[in-house]
Amino acid sequence: MQKDLEEKFLSDFEKNQNIAHKICRVYTTNQNAHNDLFQEITIQLWKNYPKFRGDSKFSTWMYRVALNTAISLYRKSTRRVKTQDISDVAYKISSTPYDDTEEAQLKALYKAIHKLNDIDKALIFLYLEDKPYKEISEALGITSVNARVKMNRAKEKLKNILNP
Amino acid sequence: MDVLDKYKKAWVNQPEDNRQLSSKEIYKLAHSSSSSLVKWIFIIGILEFIFWGVINFLVPDSFYKIYEDLNLETFLQVFTVFHYIILIAFLYLFYQNYTNISLVDNTKKLIKKILKVRKTVNYYVYYNLAIIVLVSFVINAKIFSNPEKHLDIINPDNLAMDLSQIVTISIISQIIAVIVILVLFWLFYKLIYGIFLRKLNKNYKELSKLDESN
Repeated sequence: MQKDLEEKFLSDFEKNQNIAHKICRVYTTNQNAHNDLFQEITIQLWKNYPKFRGDSKFSTWMYRVALNTAISLYRKSTRRVKTQDISDVAYKISSTPYDDTEEAQLKALYKAIHKLNDIDKALIFLYLEDKPYKEISEALGITSVNARVKMNRAKEKLKNILNP
Repeated sequence: MDVLDKYKKAWVNQPEDNRQLSSKEIYKLAHSSSSSLVKWIFIIGILEFIFWGVINFLVPDSFYKIYEDLNLETFLQVFTVFHYIILIAFLYLFYQNYTNISLVDNTKKLIKKILKVRKTVNYYVYYNLAIIVLVSFVINAKIFSNPEKHLDIINPDNLAMDLSQIVTISIISQIIAVIVILVLFWLFYKLIYGIFLRKLNKNYKELSKLDESN
């Protein structure tokens, strides 16, 4: 029974691991911290997996647990490796052929997101992932109306950082 | 076209992370040890319970002689039973609140539950500090209601001073001791809040702000 559950978890997680990677990129600025957070997310997903009843899609459930881990459980490392930050972002992006302009835009986008607070990061991340307001409000525990209003504010903040 | 649309397009088109983990690697990570804030809050809470639980055993036996001298033995016995009932109640609440934490809850509820675990320990600490004040008050009231009778307690070294001087010195030294203890606790909690709770408090405040009327 436990083995079946484990196999199912590993297969589900392997397929959806990019969600966790993206959340790590949003909430951390260097590879060490990325790995730390990724590890904590994996631990928490596995710990909570027996309670996952399949009422929702695995990916929807994973967004919730992984974001909660980043916002509430993960303690930022006190190590400062700012000088490596930019090269790290580049390192995280695979070397497969990719549009130059989009790559530059993506780097700028991550850099801007890193300047937001933890909650605005979550709002922007869910917006970029095209999540409906209902899901965003349920994930954060705020009303749909407020999710919409605050999303617009977070987007404004992001625009101001991107185009000061 | 919104300025963010082009960035969103870049986001959607971003390639997969170059570190794609195999099931074997995921298995290893899933079974490694967590270093989450909740785990640390739990460990520190347990250590505090142990600290306050064993502090009674660290008090030298000679100190308990004061209770005998003041005829407060029954008070001490009743109080000890009461104290352990309270300790068990707090431990139960602490564990209950800890097991209530669920990562599937929404973020606001989750942070609220984590902070509740911490609050339970805080209340237990306040309770202990209040008890120290209360017991000291009872002992002082008993001694100073008839200082001549209890001279050997307030002047154990038989210093050649008159009674009012001894009473003054005794009260001042107690006040200084209370201030020192309170400052040490204040520093300890500043440290705990600074290290472990700043992020949670900040994010909870931020989420609460999101739900304020616009």
